[in-house]
Amino acid sequence: MTTWIDTSCILVVFLALSILATYRITGMIHIFVVQSFVLSFVPFFLHADALTGRDVMLVLATLVLKAIVAPYILFWAIRHMSMRSEVKPFIGFGTSIICGTFLIAGAFWVASSLKLPGKLISDLVIPCSLSTVLLGFMIIVTRTKAITQVLGYLVMENGIFLFALSLFDAMPTLIEMGILLDIFVAVFIMAIVVNHINEEFEHAPASLRRTKMGETL
Amino acid sequence: MVLLFSPFFLGVITRVKAFFGGRVGPSVFQPYFDLAKLFQKKCVYSHTTTWIFRAAPIVVFASVLAVSLMIPFGAFKAPVRFSGDIFLVAYLFGLARFFMIVAALDTGSSFEGMGASREAFFSCLSELTIFMNFVTLVLVAHQISLSGMIGAEIPLSWKLMGPTLLLVVSSFFIVILAENCRIPVDDPSTHLELTMIHEVMILDHSGVDLAYMLYGAAAKLFLFGGILVPILLPIHTGHGLMDTLIFVVGMLGIAIFIGLVESGMARLRLNRVTNLLLIAFALAFFGFIVRLWRG
Repeated sequence: MTTWIDTSCILVVFLALSILATYRITGMIHIFVVQSFVLSFVPFFLHADALTGRDVMLVLATLVLKAIVAPYILFWAIRHMSMRSEVKPFIGFGTSIICGTFLIAGAFWVASSLKLPGKLISDLVIPCSLSTVLLGFMIIVTRTKAITQVLGYLVMENGIFLFALSLFDAMPTLIEMGILLDIFVAVFIMAIVVNHINEEFEHAPASLRRTKMGETL
Repeated sequence: MVLLFSPFFLGVITRVKAFFGGRVGPSVFQPYFDLAKLFQKKCVYSHTTTWIFRAAPIVVFASVLAVSLMIPFGAFKAPVRFSGDIFLVAYLFGLARFFMIVAALDTGSSFEGMGASREAFFSCLSELTIFMNFVTLVLVAHQISLSGMIGAEIPLSWKLMGPTLLLVVSSFFIVILAENCRIPVDDPSTHLELTMIHEVMILDHSGVDLAYMLYGAAAKLFLFGGILVPILLPIHTGHGLMDTLIFVVGMLGIAIFIGLVESGMARLRLNRVTNLLLIAFALAFFGFIVRLWRG
């Protein structure tokens, strides 16, 4: 089962990296769906020998919320705003990928000096979750549109979810559910926010700022 | 073995593409007929070309053949194996590419210059990825020869280093597509100026020279497959015939998979190819990190 956990962890990081390299917002959301899908099966692999109702519930809840509801709201927001599908990054795609690679390396470096309570099934879970969180941050910071920043936030949440999964036995279910709910609320609110912004401006780029006379951006 | 089978490999890819295009497609032996036809023709040389242009096909073909000596095929051991031969492999491919580029520039055609520039740029990126993959494989197998690297150690490594090898394999597959000018990077079936990288460089070659170039390209694709298959199918039965059969099945699988990728994907816009290659590099680097992490 360790192999499956390892593979899922690496897939999650790779998908986060490929979100960084995607040109279209719909493409980003599709990749996010795949990432959430992969992620939602990790609890199965973690407790493959003794599957409880709690695991099944967690898998189902993650699957529905992360892989169906959240993307649905995002797609709905895009359709509703009839926005152009191009991702407009502050830095180029090539640079993003290289920076992402360095972030992954950094995450592994940090994870090597992290002592955690409890025994982990796979030693890749922690560094991979840290990498995903950092890549999510990177998406938030480098993408201009509000909707891509929501997506970055969701990717970051996926990383946090993976981190929480590694401490599954040490933590009560409440925290897991809290994280899931957190995402749900965040997506919901942000969809509304994005929508409101869109009613005032044509698109909702966060970098939009009026320049004063003689000032260069 | 390489000489015998590499055109067949190409034929299988074409056939798979034809099948998914809803056509019957040429016979899998068509590349053999093409090569036979070209070998019977005479060469035509432009007045502007020098000896470089004439030497290039031979150098390309010879260096690819030299590489083939260092790669094991199924039960056939590599005839030449020494510590550090991975560098020789990489640089022999480099030599072939260098002569191809120089010959393209030698013709003085602006088209071929363009192709040469693209080839040089993309191969910079893919070479980096190849070396990153080689470094990871060396760390996994603790051997610096190609035969050792993709040899007996791999089955054991899959258990412990599964994720690393998975990353290496996927990264190497992208490199195969890029290095051999397959579809997401370059379209091997057209001479259209927007798409061409490899095809444009051999526009001025004709007859026997063209045959050598095409044969070299086919053999290169086969060799890259030959490096990938032992990593993907690390089964050693100890029975010579059986091992070779597994190898052949693996090669056919790769050919069919390349055909599938080519049927399913459109060629990427030229400025996005860089990103594809950077992703391949990121995968290789990630594999390297995971290898170091597992220690």
